[in-house]
Amino acid sequence: MTAAAVAPPALAPTGTTIAVDRVSKWLGPVVALSDVSFSIGPGVTALLGPNGAGKSTLLRILCGLTGASQGTVRVLGVDPRTDLALRGRLGLVAQQETLFEQLRAVDIVALSAGLHGVADSSGAARGALGLVDLDPDDSRPVRTYSKGMRQRVKVAAAVVHDPTVVVLDEPLEGLDPRQRVRMIELFVQLGAQGRTVLVSSHVLDEVERFGSQVLVLAKGRLAASGDFRAIRDLMDERPHRLRLRASDARRLAAALMAGGTVVGTHLESPESVLVDTVLAGAFRRALPQAAAAEGIRLLEVTPLDDDLDSVFRYLVDR
Amino acid sequence: MALVYRLLLRSLVTRARVLALSAIGLVGILIGLAIRASDLSAADRSLAITRDLVGGFGLNLVVPVTALVFASAAFGDPTDDRTMVYLWLTPIPRWRLVAAGWAAALSVAAPVAILPVTVAAAVAGAPGRLVAGTVAGALLATMGYTALFLGLGLLVRRALAWGLAYVLIWELAVARISKGAARLSISVYSRSVLSDVGQVVKPLNAAAVSTSLIVLGVTVVAAMALTTRTLTRADVA
Repeated sequence: MTAAAVAPPALAPTGTTIAVDRVSKWLGPVVALSDVSFSIGPGVTALLGPNGAGKSTLLRILCGLTGASQGTVRVLGVDPRTDLALRGRLGLVAQQETLFEQLRAVDIVALSAGLHGVADSSGAARGALGLVDLDPDDSRPVRTYSKGMRQRVKVAAAVVHDPTVVVLDEPLEGLDPRQRVRMIELFVQLGAQGRTVLVSSHVLDEVERFGSQVLVLAKGRLAASGDFRAIRDLMDERPHRLRLRASDARRLAAALMAGGTVVGTHLESPESVLVDTVLAGAFRRALPQAAAAEGIRLLEVTPLDDDLDSVFRYLVDR
Repeated sequence: MALVYRLLLRSLVTRARVLALSAIGLVGILIGLAIRASDLSAADRSLAITRDLVGGFGLNLVVPVTALVFASAAFGDPTDDRTMVYLWLTPIPRWRLVAAGWAAALSVAAPVAILPVTVAAAVAGAPGRLVAGTVAGALLATMGYTALFLGLGLLVRRALAWGLAYVLIWELAVARISKGAARLSISVYSRSVLSDVGQVVKPLNAAAVSTSLIVLGVTVVAAMALTTRTLTRADVA
């Protein structure tokens, strides 16, 4: 695990394909990114952060769509803002939903292939649409498509020219659970083929399923980076507050305090108590054991600060 | 480039644009019919066709407005609907994207602008050489204005308003009262070509036809270069 907020954190074991060195970006008075440094190589890397953390700005900088206010970015060894040839080796799933609305999916993907110089753009488009489980013979224009289908068209258009680096900005938004699994499999497969795949998300569970390296961005700063499991452990170490509803909340709280997994309690009613723990894993194991040992019926366990924002706040503040 | 050209052309040709601009052109044809039906002398009719119908209504209104609508939309529409990212993130040299955008805007603006003005001149009773002058002047003006307004869609959000302000303030007001400003007016050069080819009375501050061709050519090249630079440096959402 690379420690959180250590600059510059380095992820890439070998063969760095994306190198970001002390990059900051100001959008007027707003600091979108502040002194961000990391490097990544082939494989899947997840860019995790709450909405407004600066993920899309960072991805736009990596694709050259906007420049950094400060610092340097190298993708495959060149400046993405100025190197035209690099754009033929990049694939982007942009955050915006808009596509060429009057065109069919196969036309859009073939257009992307053609613009990137693919010789058989039509054949490549059919193949790419197959990868995302869309029918290349669908005659409907994409304006009739659901959000999930549009996302898949964007993914197909991003990979149709066989790019070395694939950048995906919230690509799982709007997909149903089955399609999410399928899409995650595709990203993992692209990474296993030696491509650098950078996927942004604000959903922790999604990132877990990538089984990948993780960059955590919060408030424009790189809060943590490393293997997902290490990040998860780090998150488990933070203080958690939970509300327990039980047949005898006072006795349950006392048993947990005695067991050492709880550092504080606040009795709300005879059946409800707030508990603070810094050992989430041990607490999860100790809770049912303590309840069973005391003969107490456990009615409900509600985490009060398990939302992503609180996790990011913890990572940034520590 | 052909791919980009076809894509931009398809997005430019909307029913609303073509109908609205054709309606303006139709007004020109009606004015032409009115001139034909009038009892003006031959000299007055020639003046009315050259100065008022073709020079005034055609080259000062129909052509610049039509060029503005299509040229500013060529890159303005993809910027507004955020599909520009799909064009921008390709290894195609920027000047080729700009050339494709200009060609697309010109392909649709030229018939929509030139055809009604030419028909209006013909129905008004213009002689053949004046009709030829109308085509030449309108074509050169369309080329110049489309090049000029192409980058506007990238530079500003309300390209139509800015473009109309330019036409009204610079082309129709400042360039008419200032000889120096007239040197930087597409309208003056296109009307110079109209009068030269049409063999009719020259407009105020007229330039030689060779000068007009050179200046309009330089305008197109310079405007395209500026648009290429703007596109290269654009922040794409």
